[in-house]
Amino acid sequence: MVVVTLADLRYRYRQFLIAVLGAGLVMAMALLLAGLVGGFTAETNQTVGGVSADRWVLSTGSSGRIAAVGLFPQSEAAVIGRLPGVVRADPLVLLPGEVAVVGGKTITVNIMGVRTGGLGDPVVTSGRPLTAAGQVVVDPRSGAGIGTTLAVGGRRFRVVGQVDDRTLIAGGPMVYMGLADSQAVALEGRQLVTAVVTRGAPAHTPPGYLVLTAAAVEQRNLAALSSAVSSINNTKILMWVVAAVIIAALLYVSALQRVGDFAVLKALGSSSLALLGSLALESVLVSLAAAAFGAAICHFMVGLFAQPLAIPSSAFVTLPLVAVAVGLLSSLVALRRATGADPAAAFG
Amino acid sequence: MARLVVDDLTVEFPSSGYTVRPLDHFSFRAGDGELVVLLGPSGCGKTTLLSCLAGLLTPTSGSIDFDGTEVTGLGGAALSEYRRRTVGVVFQAFNLIPSLTARANVMVPLRLAHVPRAEAGARADALLDQVGLDERGHHRPGQMSGGQQQRVAIARALVQDPPLVLADEPTAHLDYIQVEGILRLLRGIAAPGRMVVVATHDDRITELADTVVELAPHLPDDQRQPRLSTLVAGAVLFRQGDPSDLVYVVESGEVELYRTRGDGSEERLAVAAPGNYFGELGPMLNLPRSANARALGDAVVTGYGTRLFRALHPSDRSAGA
Repeated sequence: MVVVTLADLRYRYRQFLIAVLGAGLVMAMALLLAGLVGGFTAETNQTVGGVSADRWVLSTGSSGRIAAVGLFPQSEAAVIGRLPGVVRADPLVLLPGEVAVVGGKTITVNIMGVRTGGLGDPVVTSGRPLTAAGQVVVDPRSGAGIGTTLAVGGRRFRVVGQVDDRTLIAGGPMVYMGLADSQAVALEGRQLVTAVVTRGAPAHTPPGYLVLTAAAVEQRNLAALSSAVSSINNTKILMWVVAAVIIAALLYVSALQRVGDFAVLKALGSSSLALLGSLALESVLVSLAAAAFGAAICHFMVGLFAQPLAIPSSAFVTLPLVAVAVGLLSSLVALRRATGADPAAAFG
Repeated sequence: MARLVVDDLTVEFPSSGYTVRPLDHFSFRAGDGELVVLLGPSGCGKTTLLSCLAGLLTPTSGSIDFDGTEVTGLGGAALSEYRRRTVGVVFQAFNLIPSLTARANVMVPLRLAHVPRAEAGARADALLDQVGLDERGHHRPGQMSGGQQQRVAIARALVQDPPLVLADEPTAHLDYIQVEGILRLLRGIAAPGRMVVVATHDDRITELADTVVELAPHLPDDQRQPRLSTLVAGAVLFRQGDPSDLVYVVESGEVELYRTRGDGSEERLAVAAPGNYFGELGPMLNLPRSANARALGDAVVTGYGTRLFRALHPSDRSAGA
């Protein structure tokens, strides 16, 4: 029956090709959606992890979300720095969703004001680090090249360096600047901060503050995206269903076309189980081909998205497994046509 | 000694609410090595009989014995084994798998029986050579003529070297040159150890046959005198499925024409009054009666042979059935 199955795939290759293309594109979309969800996690991990802090001290009003501005005096950094267990403490200002202008183009960026040489000061991947006021280090997604000017909050900054993979809130590029610059941009120069990051862990939590690990900060920030993640995941499931429907529709049409063949094969001694196996094999092969096509399409489309996509490698392992499951489920649609074929019908 | 004994075979099945009986207490027997021709028009039960012989259809009653095996008593694995090993079938429309080459089509029954690929391929090559298609083994059915496809179908039927080969209208889709080749082939494979049963409506084939079985025997349509019948109220003149012999003209009284449905209920079709005639198509087309005829009250009818009827009743006053 394997020979019959493969021959049928060759014989009807055009219609199978259409199914592979259709289902493959849908699978690519499912992979990209997985990449979107993965991107949320990856960018948060990279940006929060890039601060290299053991603990984040945030005001209780922020609920632990660094993107939620909960201001407190910069002087608290010194107080926290003196807590038992703390080796070093640096103030930090995170200003999400600031409007910036790069080369005449308006973009939305996330500003992180850091103490030069302190925790949070980014390790540049090109150019040089922050050394003085009026300088910024940016994520390349901002479109600001080294040596160009970036305007934000009515001030102009010179881009001195770039740091890769630093985005937040669905691909918003990070702009790192000196602490005082960030306070001048959005806090009218007041010496307020949104976080204090520490090397070493405070022995106790100061009143009015939350002390969180980087992992906890990442988790709380991702929780803010939970409804978006849930919607994307639901859409992803829908994509799989659509892929299954495409393959099932093809198989059903194929089974209708092959009812005569099924009758003949039964008349020649084939069992219903063998026919079902043939359909299932056909379906699985089409699904796997669609999965391979989808993975290839996805590979080429990742770069087209402004938002960073992080497709988990597990998705490429899961994809063929889900494809096989989709294929087997799809073959059930055509099951009745195959098993119900009356061998006597072969006589016409 | 006869190897095939069909005894009192009846097949009936529901169709559009009615019970159709293509085979009604049918019997025949044939001997080893014979070419048996089942002759009859479309709808007379030839294909139904072949399906029963092939083990693809279970008759309502009766028995089929082939070489000591009670075919109608087989089931499950034994029936599958009978289909695979004992019977080779040549279908009317060739019924080759369109996606497979001629060689692969011939190999299918062997591969289904788990014969190794190399062995199945060698057997297919030998048979394609035997039917004169050794050069066409790698062509698909769509690339071959009807005669060539039929030869492939015959090779496929022979691939398990079955003792019984069944062919359904093997010449139906062929031109006369191809017909000659196919008939020569079928005649040649009917030899000691193998019986060939051919179902056809083409009575020219009977010249080649060892045994001819007429499934719808032509009833004599002689020039005998019209037959007058007197029916008492409720008397049945003929029943649905009966052989058709005469056309009836109502002389007096009324005759009800009705069908019996599958659930036993009756459906009235017409009532034939004096001067009306009914039951003309059955004898003309050599088909069984498609309805029952019953006297509503006392009635008198005259039965005519078709030739005499057509000579005497050129006008159309049919009541049907």
